[in-house]
Amino acid sequence: MKRRYRIALVVAFSVSGAIATLGLSALGDASEGPLSAALGWIGAAAGSIEHRVRDRLGGPPRRESMRWLEPYRASAERLRKPDFVLLGAYDSGIPHTLDGILALESRLVAPLPLVQVYSAWGDKPDQQFPVELLTAIEGLGSIPVVTWEPWLVDFENVKHPGIALRDKRDSHGLAAVARGNYDFYVDAWARAAARFGKPFFVRLAHEMNDPYRYPWGPQNNTKEEYIAAWRHVVDRFRRAGATNVVWVWSPHVGYEYWDLYYPGDAYVDWVATGVLNFGPIAQWSKWWTFSEIFGQKYDRLASFGKPVMIAELGSLAVGGDRVQWYRDALTSIPREYPAVRAVLFFHARDDQTVTYQKVDWTIAGDSALSAAVRQSLRSSGLARH
Amino acid sequence: MLFVLLSLAFWYAVSRIVLGWVNYAALAKPDHRAPPPGLSVAIFTTSTPGEPLAMFDRTLDACRRIRYPHTTYLLDDTRDPRFSQLADRHGAVRLELVDVPGAKAGKINRALAATTEEFILVLDPDHVPFPEFFDRVLGHFDDERVGFVQVSQAYYNQRRSFTAAGAAEQTYAFYGPGQMGLFGHGACVAIGANCTFRRAALESIKGHGIGLAEDLVTAIRIHAAGWKSVYVPEVVSRGLVPEDLGSFYRQQLKWARGVYEVAFSELPGLGRRLAWRQRLSYLAIGTYYLFGVTTPLFLAIPYLYLWFGVQPAVLPFAEFITVVTPVGLLGALIYLVVQRWMCDRTTERGLHWRGLALKIACWPVFLAGTLLAIVRANVPYIPTAKEAVRGRFVRLAWPQLVLIALYLATLARVLSVRAFHTAEGSLELSAEAVWGMVAFATVPVLASFGALFAAWESRHPPATAPWDAIEVATIGGPAE
Repeated sequence: MKRRYRIALVVAFSVSGAIATLGLSALGDASEGPLSAALGWIGAAAGSIEHRVRDRLGGPPRRESMRWLEPYRASAERLRKPDFVLLGAYDSGIPHTLDGILALESRLVAPLPLVQVYSAWGDKPDQQFPVELLTAIEGLGSIPVVTWEPWLVDFENVKHPGIALRDKRDSHGLAAVARGNYDFYVDAWARAAARFGKPFFVRLAHEMNDPYRYPWGPQNNTKEEYIAAWRHVVDRFRRAGATNVVWVWSPHVGYEYWDLYYPGDAYVDWVATGVLNFGPIAQWSKWWTFSEIFGQKYDRLASFGKPVMIAELGSLAVGGDRVQWYRDALTSIPREYPAVRAVLFFHARDDQTVTYQKVDWTIAGDSALSAAVRQSLRSSGLARH
Repeated sequence: MLFVLLSLAFWYAVSRIVLGWVNYAALAKPDHRAPPPGLSVAIFTTSTPGEPLAMFDRTLDACRRIRYPHTTYLLDDTRDPRFSQLADRHGAVRLELVDVPGAKAGKINRALAATTEEFILVLDPDHVPFPEFFDRVLGHFDDERVGFVQVSQAYYNQRRSFTAAGAAEQTYAFYGPGQMGLFGHGACVAIGANCTFRRAALESIKGHGIGLAEDLVTAIRIHAAGWKSVYVPEVVSRGLVPEDLGSFYRQQLKWARGVYEVAFSELPGLGRRLAWRQRLSYLAIGTYYLFGVTTPLFLAIPYLYLWFGVQPAVLPFAEFITVVTPVGLLGALIYLVVQRWMCDRTTERGLHWRGLALKIACWPVFLAGTLLAIVRANVPYIPTAKEAVRGRFVRLAWPQLVLIALYLATLARVLSVRAFHTAEGSLELSAEAVWGMVAFATVPVLASFGALFAAWESRHPPATAPWDAIEVATIGGPAE
């Protein structure tokens, strides 16, 4: 055997090995590859068997107690026009466990139909469509709310030669999204969302009008670019058949001109905003009441004619009476803000997104507070069943 | 800490694969050279007390039938007159060499001093050489720089038990493409069983090396002294492979301990006098038995997670499988492709799952060899048993039994925890990690059934001696 032939053989094997590895590890943007798909299927089958065994051994599962939500879990159309207020929460145990949601729920004696998760754009495995997490939420009988954050810098140029270099990427990044430069990623999500099939919310590029916090803000993009990007993404999802996605447009109402970022009635199902009272912990903040943060903007939010979601509700403890804060918020919602159709507690333990120190938004650990919230939810009629 | 250990184990595994490819890339086969007449040639074979006479009858008979003129010497310390009679009957010269230190190698060196032949075949007494043995070998000594010529090693008893089949399977690739690659790198390994040396080469290194891996030492020293070597990938003799698990483990322990000794004491000193390709090859051989250190680490991963929640690296099981499967398939494919260079393709080709099962089962033995080498504990030199030794099942199989017991206990724990304790909100999100780890723990348990069967079979070794069934006149194929 000639040396040249031998070397060629070794090279051929190495290359075919590399191709097989790449193909099978789902790095191509066309599909996830047969092996991952097969394993995913095996995993799902094992999970469902486990569920059935557990249901038999452990008494009625939570899904049973959420049966009343079934019409909404089965129909995106119903979710776009709900006739009562859907409660929900994000919990810092996510994405590893939903136990925190269930613990909060039993603390508040109020079922939580919505579970919020955060997902950033990018190449990493945990930045792909979170099908396991959404399936788990669905398995518990709730409906997922995915806050989907276009962090464009988490893509590798090596894998995607079509996108701008990393340090130039954020500048007018949403225009690039609108041009379709990120369709490799958007389409993969759209296909996976269609395959998931069950209705769920997507809160895309929230707080787009805040110039300080996220790279998709007005410091990098015009509002026209924002709207174009939004419409492009929604169109891609619709084209992929992902009509089960309910689109949540979520500006930061603390800044002016937020209403100019509205992508249009045909592209938005819900209008949302966060209502977080940081108290006096930072220079830019003071103790604000619920009505100061939300009440003053409500009319404009409701004027779009869409159901309104309070996507992040919370108050820190320092600087005021947070028991009263929650009581005011929860009792005023059904009375004064009838367009509000969803309230999600921001139940994060070590939140560091906008402050340098870690802050604690949790309710479950404070028994006086959780008792007050429980009582307000009941008296206001927000807690169902 | 755990992560670092695991990374090292992982990179060790990767380096083995790559070293295998490096070796295969150099694959070479020498052209046949007919020997000139008139060379002076000797065969040295050794006998020690307790070795079966009937086996020597076959061996000495076969030596007599080797066509190229030679003298057969029986290096004997049995003090048994029957061995002397046997030597006479087959025209062999008996050298009485009692109380010589250094076991087999010591006797060889003593015999070297007592003889004058220029070329010496060191033949293990369980090996039955074929009549054409020297015709295939001696021609390569035409090149004055060739110090030894090694031929393939093959067996005549590999079908007699699971252990024998597995042990034989483990060696096929080495004696085919493995040694051919080493030859290409100029780093053949001399095998004590059937290696032919040039007297001058042995004398230049002050005689045959001594120790548990005396053949490997000898090969390295001869290369370091500037000699070349030739590997002839042909079956021109057949010998014995261990038939019972206990003998196999003892053989593996001896080799592991011996090979480490070479890596620790010979390579650092002689390394400078070897070419880098030779150094790399011998380093690869010297670190083979580290398998015994890395395997328990891999074995422990699922148990650490399932009992203590400790995870050295977060890698979802599905992702692990998708990354590892192509590598595994490619490795298997390469293994199958290089089988075309096996020495006796009709009997040696195959998937060799018995060999793999026995290798996995050997990790405690390799680990023991590693630890013994580190503390420089002595392992006595005993020739590998020629006849199967009856073994007690539990004594041979306890590592596998412990593993299976641990596995079943873990499975019971996982099932009860997930049925009754895992909170509803975590059940689904932890399913992949937990069941993936269970699957990861299942593979070695399945593999351990091979060793369990081997141990079970070793309770009742074959009743007949392996050489009873062979016919010296025909073992090398029909006479020409």
